[in-house]
Amino acid sequence: MLTRSTTLLVAALLAATLTACGTNAAPTTTGGGTGPKSGGTLVLGENADEPACLDPHQLSTTNTTVVGRPIFDSLLRQDADGTLKPWLASAWQVSADGLTYTFTLREGVRFHDGSAWDAEALKLNLEHMRAPATKSPLAAAYIAPYEDAKVVDERTLEVRLASPYSAFLNVLAQSYLAMISPKQLKEDPASTCEHPVGSGPFVFDAWAKGQGITYRRNPDYAWGPTRTGPAHLERLEIRFLAEDATRYNALLAGEVDVIDNTPPASVEDVKANPALAFTSLDRPGHPFSVWLNTGRAPFSDVKVRQALTRAVDRKAIIDSVSFGRWTVATGFLTPSTPDHADAGGLAHDPAEAARLLDEAGWREKGADGIRVKDGERLTATALDTGVNPQNTQILVQTQAAAAKAGIEIKIENVPAQVSSERTAKGDFDVSVGIWTTNTADVLWIQYASGNITTSERRGQNTTRLDDDKLDDLLERARASTDAAGRAAIYGEAQARLLGLAPAIPLYDRPSLVSSSTKVHGLTWDHAYGAVTFQDAWVS
Amino acid sequence: MTTLRFIGWRLLAGAGVLWGAATLTFLVVHFTPGDPAEAVVGGEGAAPTPEVLAQVRAEYGLDLPWYQQYAAHLWRIVRGDFGTSYRLHTPVTQAIGEQAAATVELALAGAATGLTLAVAVALATARRRRWLRGLASAAELVAASTPTFWLGIVLLTVFSFGLRLFPATGGQGPASLVLPALCLALPIAGVLGHVLRESLEEVLDEPFIVSARARGLGDAAVRVRHALRHAMTPLVTMTGYWVGALLGGAVVTETLFTRQGIGRLLVSAVNAKDLPVVLGVVLLSALVYVVVNLVVDLLYLAIDPRLKEAA
Repeated sequence: MLTRSTTLLVAALLAATLTACGTNAAPTTTGGGTGPKSGGTLVLGENADEPACLDPHQLSTTNTTVVGRPIFDSLLRQDADGTLKPWLASAWQVSADGLTYTFTLREGVRFHDGSAWDAEALKLNLEHMRAPATKSPLAAAYIAPYEDAKVVDERTLEVRLASPYSAFLNVLAQSYLAMISPKQLKEDPASTCEHPVGSGPFVFDAWAKGQGITYRRNPDYAWGPTRTGPAHLERLEIRFLAEDATRYNALLAGEVDVIDNTPPASVEDVKANPALAFTSLDRPGHPFSVWLNTGRAPFSDVKVRQALTRAVDRKAIIDSVSFGRWTVATGFLTPSTPDHADAGGLAHDPAEAARLLDEAGWREKGADGIRVKDGERLTATALDTGVNPQNTQILVQTQAAAAKAGIEIKIENVPAQVSSERTAKGDFDVSVGIWTTNTADVLWIQYASGNITTSERRGQNTTRLDDDKLDDLLERARASTDAAGRAAIYGEAQARLLGLAPAIPLYDRPSLVSSSTKVHGLTWDHAYGAVTFQDAWVS
Repeated sequence: MTTLRFIGWRLLAGAGVLWGAATLTFLVVHFTPGDPAEAVVGGEGAAPTPEVLAQVRAEYGLDLPWYQQYAAHLWRIVRGDFGTSYRLHTPVTQAIGEQAAATVELALAGAATGLTLAVAVALATARRRRWLRGLASAAELVAASTPTFWLGIVLLTVFSFGLRLFPATGGQGPASLVLPALCLALPIAGVLGHVLRESLEEVLDEPFIVSARARGLGDAAVRVRHALRHAMTPLVTMTGYWVGALLGGAVVTETLFTRQGIGRLLVSAVNAKDLPVVLGVVLLSALVYVVVNLVVDLLYLAIDPRLKEAA
């Protein structure tokens, strides 16, 4: 539908494009003494991963942080070094048994609908995350130990947990657990998807589904994590551009000012272009990995898993797939995750791989080089949905490396739904995946034996690892209330995982952000590794 | 009376088509692999708790036997209630309503462009020199057999990324409609142009054309005023084809050019096993088909009264 206002918008955009072309010819130098400029519109090009709903408690998609952070604030904020800082909570205390969390709330915070931020508001938000009616795909699981909360006074909430959960504060810093207006939750909870109301630096304006979201500045914002005072930008717009080439070219043409998910192949071109700038941040959590099903042969044998890990030249695969853009994983947590421990033992070592396979009894080799034991071939089935071409390349290159070591991997192409179902049932040997979160508790999510999917319970332990020692470490870390002690336990757990080799950690997935040089002040949400705009401005 | 009876029968048959479409859609979505509750709150990066999965199953009746679910969906639709989207948590009528205008705009622009191109090329090349007809015919063949996806990428690369004449993304006013409309129009123009030229060449051999020329009419006037009207009949017959091509092409075009639209809505609904939305979109498309075909058949009766007796 063409209205007068859209025609005006076109005119404005054309003008903006022409201006952008002008600056392309003579790139402005940054840091030239002029301070941030107030006003203007910034347009971000995102990939096609558009949320189905804008209520953060009802979301699990990767883009939740980029799309939701302008509108929503969180209780705590995570720093670049992983420490947790006050945000909507000004202070907090944890009881010695790790079961009671007392939050003191910041004063003077108001939501976009004018409602006040207080203890009742925090309680309503926690209840909303947990309520089955909310149908939360992630937040509910992240606060699973939440039992109830008591309003001590207007500024103080006492939260009680059913079991100690040391990651509680960490996950509260993620945008999936951000704070929604208490007025909206009480009076019109059905509207949170379509008309999200938060307390953030931008107010939700409009959402053209399948196309983009627009936001306008919140003039009253004075509780930013890094700076007090409202955002510099007058307006913010996010467009969902499915094709990599379209997104990159839209940036070149000045149709958008910033793009997220820069195609790895284009990063060198962005860096070489004087009119563009590039920045990236590795996300916290579990690195992107090749999962090995430890619940059935051949990967039920730890030696075969260790052998495959050593047979694969991880750096060569990652460099070729990402054009050198991704960092090779060093262990089972990415370095940007709190309690990450430096480890080794993931070196490419084909000789050691061969020795391990010999030891495991796979000594003979067939005519095609595949190892044989008691007349049986060393063969495994990998599931590939074909949705992500990079994942397919990774599987194909892993297949080639495995074949050299005498392990046959058959890649089966299946629809996403089938892959998800077979993975849950354990009907596979090899698959790939990643889990982004800002706590080492991701190891409990992925490897605790209680998280193996059964007929009663859906869990995230894809590799079906069942190790008593590891279970004990992960439970103890969850119960720990002292930071140093917790880090030490997680260190042990990470070392244990290197030995158990339930997966081949491949790379730390980064956010790859490119922007026009007229864009300044882009910041990161370190709790997820996503670009944010509360300090951004356009010159 | 006979016309009214004809319309009555056709409407009854139309209702049968809608019921068939709904049934087939339900069976396909229901019996393809994948747990619908998982599709709604699961997927990559999700960790639904048992309570949340139970809530989804109970709320959407996913724990009932398939025939009960089928009956519930059908009964709701018969009463005019298209339900609420599992994925978007909004009424299906609203979800489709938000996207319909963009698809209608694209389809109309595509149809108009395709028809204009077809008519212009056919008029200019029918009964002309051999090489010119050959050239047009080859171009039509290429246009008709090029996959929409690839055609769209070529258009983007040349006119948007290369020459920077049009924006690459949708929703930015008339300029952003040009490339998607062309992408949709070219394959249709290829087929229609070819059919129209054949038909024009036949008509140009008719005695009334000779008499028109004998009256001293110029070539252009003969083609446009006399031959074209007669030659258009096969295009009316092919209405079903190009309505289908427009709807099918919209899915790819909308995705490629980041436009809003029913096509994109349908794709994401199918992926998420969002049955109310899938049923809504399928029924809407089937309804468009039924109505368009009925109108075309009535048009025939108006164009050619001999058919009235046959009916």
